Amino acid sequence: MTTKTAGILALFDYLDDVEAALETIKGRPEFKDHILYSHTSYHELVHHAEERYGPSQVRWFTLTGALTGATTGFWLPILCDLDFPLIVGGKSPAFNSLPPNLIFIFELFVLFGALATILGMLWLGRLGNPHARILDNRLMDDKFGIFVPGAQVDGEEASLLKSQGAFEIKKTS
Amino acid sequence: MSDTVQWDKTISDVNEGILKGVEGRPHPTYYIALVFALTLLAIGITGWGLIVSFGIGLSGKSSPVYWGTFITDFVFWVGIGHAGTLISAILFLFRAKWRNSINRSAEAMTVFAVITAGLFPLIHMGRVWNGFWTLPLPNTNNMWVNFRSPLLWDVFAISTYLTVSLLFWYMGLVPDIASLRDRVKGFKRFVYGILSLGWTGNIRQWHHYETGYGFLAALSTPLVLSVHSIVSWDFAMALQPGWHTTIFPPYFVAGAILSGCAMVYNLVVPVRKMFRLEGFIKEEHLEACLKLTLLTSTIVAYAYAIEFFIAWYSGSYYEWAIFKGRATGPYSFYFWTMTFCNCVFPLLLWSRKIRYNIPVAMVICFLINIGMWFERYNIVISSLAEDFLPGSWGHYEPSIIDMCMTFGSFGWFFSWFLVFTKFFPFVSMSELKLIMPKPLRRKPTH
Repeated sequence: MTTKTAGILALFDYLDDVEAALETIKGRPEFKDHILYSHTSYHELVHHAEERYGPSQVRWFTLTGALTGATTGFWLPILCDLDFPLIVGGKSPAFNSLPPNLIFIFELFVLFGALATILGMLWLGRLGNPHARILDNRLMDDKFGIFVPGAQVDGEEASLLKSQGAFEIKKTS
Repeated sequence: MSDTVQWDKTISDVNEGILKGVEGRPHPTYYIALVFALTLLAIGITGWGLIVSFGIGLSGKSSPVYWGTFITDFVFWVGIGHAGTLISAILFLFRAKWRNSINRSAEAMTVFAVITAGLFPLIHMGRVWNGFWTLPLPNTNNMWVNFRSPLLWDVFAISTYLTVSLLFWYMGLVPDIASLRDRVKGFKRFVYGILSLGWTGNIRQWHHYETGYGFLAALSTPLVLSVHSIVSWDFAMALQPGWHTTIFPPYFVAGAILSGCAMVYNLVVPVRKMFRLEGFIKEEHLEACLKLTLLTSTIVAYAYAIEFFIAWYSGSYYEWAIFKGRATGPYSFYFWTMTFCNCVFPLLLWSRKIRYNIPVAMVICFLINIGMWFERYNIVISSLAEDFLPGSWGHYEPSIIDMCMTFGSFGWFFSWFLVFTKFFPFVSMSELKLIMPKPLRRKPTH
């Protein structure tokens, strides 16, 4: 990940300052690999992420999981019934008594869909790494940050971010 | 709703204020509550130990009532677990902002309540060590699974509900655990570091998190409605008079939301005091929870009335006899307690003054929980005790051991809940920040 490289971290107090900074650096090659940090998911910032990375692919994980679950829920009772045709209330099992299977289709649709969604969130968000680098503790508290890899504290990138309202520029290694 | 809340805290106070309780010492009442919960738990363990030692005969079950208080407890706790996902998922999709201050506690309540509920079918069997035989392992152990049995549907429904609620709760916790990780040192940092999954708060993580959270909410929403519907089919699919009615699924769902909301209120109010969270969980948020309680109480009252009416109007002799018996027979105490606690006392919540009077509202919510337990008792016991054949009728009263187990379940639930509040943020910090005024340099002009 780019965060492993050295660079600068610009810290902001205000949401509108970060938004303005993001507008300013948009399309500039020296900020191509910048990473934005936030303590919560403000719509404005998530929108910026959507513009930059495109729609989240988590949805495909959800769809795949849900369809797998529904298929499993459909076949599980049928295959079990074919293996051992348990007759209940005089009704022959498997394909001749499908309505109760809807419950298994629904439950496994939800279960597999949820599990796949979590998997997607972990995979795409690069989560599950206990050694992830924490650039500044304040980013989890109430500050916003823009990390620019390869930039210098006294460089042009730093002064641009400062002019946009960054209250602190720090070097990260 | 939260747009009108007067916040005396800012975003910068959120982490400090909420994590103070986790890092420091809570109010002494926390320890009193914990000791009380552990005492109840000890009572429950003693009762269960006696059942394991001397047999299931120690419970009050006997012919014809073989579903006694254990199944009552099971249905009660599944119902309690209902409001958590309602508050987290459905209210999230409806963008009801007030949920952000209490959703964490509601989700925790769900998880612990469903775990508590899950204990009772095992306890009910008596020989708990043989419990694995009931796992729905398809066609293994020569156990030919009956996929047309509502009991099996229930196993699938509840285990799915528990898993999805647990995942939903945990994913919501991840950003907050990361905040906690960055504030503590040593072994605690190591543990919270693992639990936070390396969350750094970069926008790529938030982007996928927000999408995934939305999908989880969308998947959980039908689940909320299905779980208690399926629990109700445990009864409604049987031909027993008093059970075999089509109103059961919506009636059970409304009842579950009623008891769940009342329990959320009963839990949040004391913990808010113990951890000094009054600045984050505002009276307006608690009031919104009470409004939902009132709404579901009226739905439950309607269900009670219509159930009674249909029992008479259908012309079914057996059905009408059961309902008459509930109101005037040997179980009438339970019936009238249920009716007053669930339908009459909550009417006080129409008054705004009472909704803002926390001690009175606490008592009403407590009574609702008692009423909801009696509702389940009423449904389970009165129908089984007197079915079609007078020759097979009987009477059921819970034994001391049954009551020990019921109180023990409260101890088990409260112990987990209190331990959770001490080690994890009780309010979802990242979500709370979303309903507070945004940190803007240029103040918005309206």
